[in-house]
This record gives sequence, C-alpha cells and structure tokens, in this order.
Amino acid sequence: MVVSDSLSSDRGTILRVRGPLEFKCHLVSTDARHMLKVISRTFETLKSQVKSESCVLTVCDSPVIIWPNKDVYITPQEITPNAPCDDILKWIQSDEQDPAGLRSAKKKSKKSSAASVINLRLMMEATKTGPLSAPILSRTVQKSHFLSTTFPVDCVVRTTVNETIKDAFERLLKALTHQLCEMEKVTLQHTKGTTLLVPEPLHFLLPEPKGLVTVVYPAGVPDSQLEAQRKELHQQFELPDDWPYFRRANTYHFPNEPYKDGYLRNPHLVLTHPTLDNGKVYLVQGTYSYHHYMQDHTDDNGWGCAYRSLQTICSWFQQQGYVERAVPSHKETQQALVDVGDKKASFVGSRQWIGSIEVQAVLNQLLGVTSKIMFVSQGSELASKGRELANHFLTEGTPIMIGGGVLAHTILGVAWSETSGQIRYLILDPHYTGAEDLQVVTDKGWCGWKGTDFWDQTAYYNLCLPLRPKVF
Amino acid sequence: MGRTYIVEDVVEGYLTKQCEQTAGPVSGLLIGQSSTQREYVVTATRTPQREESTASGGNSPDKEWVTEHARQVSRMLPGGLSVLGVFIVTDTDAKDTLTTLRQLVFAVENLISSERLWTSAEDDVSDRVVLHVNPKTRKTLCRTFDVKDPKSVAKPADWKYQSGVCSSWSTVSCCVSVDVLLPLPDNPTATEDTAKCLKVSARAQKAPQFVVGGGVLRLCFLQEGLRGWAHQLESAVCLIDGRRLAADAELAGGQKRNVRQTYSAQLLITPDERRLAEGVQRCGGSVSVSGAVYSTAYLHSNKPKARQAEKLLKRDAVSTLTTRAQMLLEELLTSGGASEGSSRDEHQREQFCLPHRVFCPVEASGPVCVCDYRFSDEGLSEVIDRLKEMLDMDAAEKDLDIRRETPAEVLEGDAADEPTVETAEALQSKRNYFGAAMATTVALLATAASMLYLNDV
Repeated sequence: MVVSDSLSSDRGTILRVRGPLEFKCHLVSTDARHMLKVISRTFETLKSQVKSESCVLTVCDSPVIIWPNKDVYITPQEITPNAPCDDILKWIQSDEQDPAGLRSAKKKSKKSSAASVINLRLMMEATKTGPLSAPILSRTVQKSHFLSTTFPVDCVVRTTVNETIKDAFERLLKALTHQLCEMEKVTLQHTKGTTLLVPEPLHFLLPEPKGLVTVVYPAGVPDSQLEAQRKELHQQFELPDDWPYFRRANTYHFPNEPYKDGYLRNPHLVLTHPTLDNGKVYLVQGTYSYHHYMQDHTDDNGWGCAYRSLQTICSWFQQQGYVERAVPSHKETQQALVDVGDKKASFVGSRQWIGSIEVQAVLNQLLGVTSKIMFVSQGSELASKGRELANHFLTEGTPIMIGGGVLAHTILGVAWSETSGQIRYLILDPHYTGAEDLQVVTDKGWCGWKGTDFWDQTAYYNLCLPLRPKVF
Repeated sequence: MGRTYIVEDVVEGYLTKQCEQTAGPVSGLLIGQSSTQREYVVTATRTPQREESTASGGNSPDKEWVTEHARQVSRMLPGGLSVLGVFIVTDTDAKDTLTTLRQLVFAVENLISSERLWTSAEDDVSDRVVLHVNPKTRKTLCRTFDVKDPKSVAKPADWKYQSGVCSSWSTVSCCVSVDVLLPLPDNPTATEDTAKCLKVSARAQKAPQFVVGGGVLRLCFLQEGLRGWAHQLESAVCLIDGRRLAADAELAGGQKRNVRQTYSAQLLITPDERRLAEGVQRCGGSVSVSGAVYSTAYLHSNKPKARQAEKLLKRDAVSTLTTRAQMLLEELLTSGGASEGSSRDEHQREQFCLPHRVFCPVEASGPVCVCDYRFSDEGLSEVIDRLKEMLDMDAAEKDLDIRRETPAEVLEGDAADEPTVETAEALQSKRNYFGAAMATTVALLATAASMLYLNDV
C-alpha cells in the first residue's frame, strides 16, 4: 500500500480556482428556520453569480482571462476555446525558482514528471452593457442581525490529456457550483443559534486512480470532532481505515506552493533511485521535514544528531495528521526523558547524547507512538536486514532512526533485491550545518543513497522503527 | 520653471464678458484637466449671484459662497475634469487680490477633497491656478499655489489660449453595476446622528435655485459603508477594449494623435481577502444600493497612459455613486425623512430612487461633457436651469444626453427579497429560544478562515 506523494503527469494539467465569495445577508430574526432559509437563499444568489456571465476566471501570472459562461470567451483572443487546455501554460510567466530551494541539474528530469497546475482567480465583472437603471437605495429599519463573511472557494479539476479549454472550463464551472452546494450543506449543518462556521474546502490526494478529491470541512472544528465525516468519506471512497487520508494535516500540498515554516520537505523526492537487479525501492510514505544541526538557533553541532533524527520522525507524525503537537525542541525532548524517569533532572539543558532507546521513549511519551527496536551487533549485519526494512516501509512507512558508533542517522528507505540480496539505504543525515538549500543537500549527499560501506562494520547499531497508529 | 496652462479660446471670450459687466467684482472657477507636464483649461464659470444683497460692501467675494459653488460644480464634472483654480475679475490692487485668491483656492481644495471617498495618489498634481483679470487694463495675472503645502507661495505660470484644446480628447467609459448591502448601526440614536452629521447645503425640494446652508458634508454611515465598494473598485482589474494593458502602455497604442478615440472599459472585482470576516453582528436594519452607474473619464490627447485612464475612470465611478447617495440623503434631510420618490411597503422597507446621470457637452462638437443628476420627479428643464446656474452654460434639451442610464423605478410589491416580516411583537412570541443567544456575544470562528488566506501569499 503505497501512497503517492505527487500527481503524475500522465493525465492532464490541473485547473485550480480560488477566490473569496462575499456572503452577506440580513437576518430579520434569529429564528432557526428563518436563518436557514435566508442562508439557503443567499447561497442561491452565490450560485447564480457563479453561473452568470459576470463570472470571470483570471489565470495567475498571465494576461489570460476567461468568461466560462459566455461560451467560454477568452482574452487575449489568440487563444480559442477549442485549443487544448495546456496551451494556457505557454502564457504563464513561470518562476523558475523552486521555493524549497534552488533547482539542481538533476532535478530537471524529475520536474517534468510532476503534473502542472494552472492557478486561477475567481472574480466578478462589475461592468455590464448599458444602458441600465440608476441605483435604488432600499432601507429596512428594524432591530435585527446582519451576517457578513467571505467564503474561500478552492476548486480543482483534473483535465484529461488534450481536453479543450471549452470542455475543461465547463467542467470547472460544474465543480464550482457543486462546491457551493457542498458549502451550503456544511454551513446549514453547522449553524447553531447565531454561530456560523465558515465552510472550508480542502484537497486530499488519494491513491490512484481516485487522485485528488475535495472535501468541505467546517473551519475551526478540530479533526477529533470530524470522525463521523471521515468515516463516511472512507466508506464512500472505499479506503482502509488505518491511514488518515482525510485528516487536515494530509491536505495536498500543491507544487510550487511555499511552506510556511521554511524547512525542506521530502528532499529525497528529487533523487534518482538506484536500480538493482530484481530490486525494488521501498520508501517512507507521506511527508516529513528535514531537521539537522544548527536549526532553530540551536547550536547542537556534535551532540544533537539523534535529537534531530527524532525531530524528523515527529514531523512525520504531525504532517500525516496523527498528532497536532509541534516538533519538540531539544529541551522538550530532554524534559520528556526526565518525566518518564529515564534521566535525572540535570539532563535538561545539557549536551548529552541520546540513542534509539531514548528516541523510543520520547516518541511514546510525547506522541503516544510505539516503536520497535532492532539491534545489530555489528554494522556488517545491516546488509542482511533488507527484508525487515522493506517490510517496515511497506506496512508502517515511517522514517527510522539508527544510532551506532558515535553517529545517529535517519533511514528513509531501502532499495533491496530479494534475489541478489543487494541493498542500498536512503539516508537523511542530521549532521548537516548549512542552510535549507535543496540543491546543496542533495548534491552533497546529506540526503542520499548509501551502500553497505556507509556503516561502521564493527560497531553495533540500534534502530528505532516507529509504528504508525492504525486509525483514520 | 512654472506650470503651463493651455486654455480654450472660448474662456478668453468668457472672461472678457465678465469684464464688461458692471455689477462689481466677479469670481469664478476654472475647470479642466491636470497632467504632469501641463494643465488644460476647458471652461470657466462665474460664481452665481446670491439672492440676498451682500451687506459686506461687496468688493471681496464671499469665501463660503465660492467654495460651496465649487463643491456643487465638482459633482458635475465627470472623470478627468476637476476644478483647477479660481479667477477674479476686479480692479482691486493685485497684491490684495492675490491674497484673496490664495485663501479661496485653499478653501475650495479643502472642501472638495473632504468629500472624496478615494484618496489622492502620489502622482496627482497639487498645483492650483489663480487668475486675476483687471477689467480696466485687461491685464491677466496668473499664479499657482501648491495646495498640499500650507506655506506655499505664489509661483508664476504661463497662460496660453488655443483653439480646440479638448476637441480630440479620448473618452473611456463603462456601466458599473452596484450591489451593496450594509448593516445599519444598532445604536437607536444613530439615525439622529446621521442627520447631525449631514451639515449640509439644503437643496430645496424641486426648486432649481442655489441655496446655501454652508458647512461641510461629513461622513455618514452610508459613506463609510460604501468605502468597501470603493476599495473593491480601486483594486479592480481594468480591461480597456477587452485587453489588460500594461500600466505604462499608452492608451492610443500607437494610433494617430489628435484623432478622437472612445474606449470601453471592463472592471473585474473580487472581495477583499484581508478583511477579517465580520461574522454575525447586531444591527438596526439594513441598507442596500442596487442598480448601475454610467461612468466616464476624459483624457487629454498628448499620449495619455492606460494607468491614468484606469485611475480617472475608477474615481469617476466611485464619485458618481457617492454623489448621488449624498444628494439623496440631503433630499431626505430637507424633506423630513420621506421624499416623494420613496415608497414604503408594509414590510417596513423604504425604497428610494437615486437620481440618474445626464450629460451635456461643453462645446457643441467636442467629446467632453459635464453632467447633472435628475431625480425622478424632475423634468429636463430643471437640469437646464442648473447647468445655467452652476456652469453658466446655455444648453437646450436636444443637447442633453439622457440615454446613458435609465431612470430608476421602484417596483411595487417587490417582496421577493424580503422574508415575511411580522411586527416586532409577533416575532417575540414566535421566536425560537435560540434567540436568547442574541443577548450573549455571538462568535464566528474566523481565525481558521483567515489563516486559510495566509496560505495564498
């Protein structure tokens, strides 16, 4: 069971429309039935706005503007509605820089395998053909309530290869209207008294062939209160109950969208994986952040490597939605060990190393995560652990912390051949002290494939293999 | 190096005529367009006579009267036209006159700018011209003051007459649909406050004469409410003749100069994402403004830029709506709350028609027009009277362009938008006890929603 990390490009480009829609209504009474009626009526107005000739979609970073309800009228007129959707890409001024870091030469071949996204803004045309009637001012004086908010529309459509602009945008319009219906349902469901929750669309990437799916959640309601909805979704999409596909943290992150926290995510994705005879590649599933020396203004050069590996593992659990807790600082890690009785109070603030046993303890204490410990008496034995490691990545998919000799590392995957026994390890090295530069990190091997000679052949190693909770 | 004013020939004739009348000093306004390189004066208009005889011994113009005239005239100028300065025809000493002119021009600027909903931009010209014509010697003294600088001193300026100054100006226009819904404040004394904050020049119902009440029109809640709409327009995407032009692009795009061009604009708007969702709030009712306004702007023919066209057009759209709203409120105030143009239906809702916009060309063959607003109970003769009074224009009904907008009509029994609203007493008893929540603060979980927008940066 492998969860795809990115959309492949063998299907067409993605059209993504975003924009705020103003939602305003005058509630003359707070009678629940009246409120629901007014809210529904306001949604009808929004739907008719979106279906009207005034609805406009502008392509971001481009002069292209499309009126989807006017026979898909497009400006500039060099583009015709019967042209393939991909033609729009030629009109977009793309920023060649990857916000996660500088592009490396290696990356070019990988880049083309990711699907392109055409970002669109939803706007309304305020001008119309005249002559039209001068305005009427209407005044209702009555003590009452007024509801004013904006709803964040975020609608995605996957085009098929060579689909025309006309067809794709007609589908996009239908998807927009459908999203408004979904938003209406969520709003009506969550309106209590005079509290109203904003419906928030989020996208989730399901295993192929289902692909990208959009779900409307009420904003601000935590995952823990949305179990019933998620259960329904799992049933609807026939998904197993042991992977949290629909938790908020698993929202699909569109390529070229920057991350707010500045850490590199999944640097391993740009690497070319080794090909072994009859070998397969088994990788960590989902996303994690690269934690290493010197980050967060903490100078842990020389002692913090296991702590950093632990942080990388914690980031995985947070980003997959298993925990809401942020990645622990070194002090928090140390305090957790004191709290479980593993260390004395003086441990906090020190520069003492930790090993995989401590990592296991902290994962349990702070995240409620259980881990398996694997022990090899000498590094050369690691070569024979192919099957166990492969199985781990298949069933658990979590990053592994390995400590031995004087070093700690994170294993993100293995390439292993059952027949020849050849093995390679995908290593994320926490000893890196530089900046969050994807090119440097991958070019210099701080995230890279290593052979069996990477390990100290005579030292003993402990591995901490975190188990993922089997929940949705 | 001083400013240069290129002035229509007819203005020279007009000023000469003012010299020839004997009733005393004449003041008036100069109207046209500024650009960074030079200014264009398109027409001039004398300050209307006051009905009461001036007891003040009459040689210096009444500052309040002149500024009030300027305020009213400003409302009649479409995009691209503005009050550029003040003139006085008098044989009083030049130095004294200059002082008077300086006071006038600053007062005019202060009053006009206090009414605007749009903020002036960095590149707006802040020089205003003062012109002193001595009727005996026919000598003309032309100076400018920088109205952004209270300590500004008079600077010399060139005053040049030319024919056909605006005959080949470009016109950009569009019809902007308006659909605004605003909550009325909950405060029960608010409606009185609304009245108090309109210290307004009372415009007597249906009478065309120019009555002054003095004072400044302060912002009332309606203007505040329209700010959101004005802001949406200011940040709207503007298409000219169907295309989005680069800001520095020339409007004419390489076509022949001195050939008159008309352009049609489109405005694409989106709600302001940064504004935090306001949620559910108590209110004293609601106000909606719904319909369309015809907006137009003129640009001089010396390589006008697309950015300038967009700016002037948007400002005109904002001004025309707010002007009409102000005019309506002034009407309501003077007529004690209910005007003939309103209808009150049994749903406690009153509807008022805003006046519609009528245009009149400044010169018979040119594209540049001034405008006026006609309420539904007025005839065209009232418009003609106002044009004569305010702008000293002799217009005939056939000159007027009344077809850019259709007059608003209140639809009787249009209950489609409103729920069946029972009286307050009936509501009390029927109200579901969720209504008790009204007494407590209601919450909208806006934090999560607003954080979503941060993602889009």
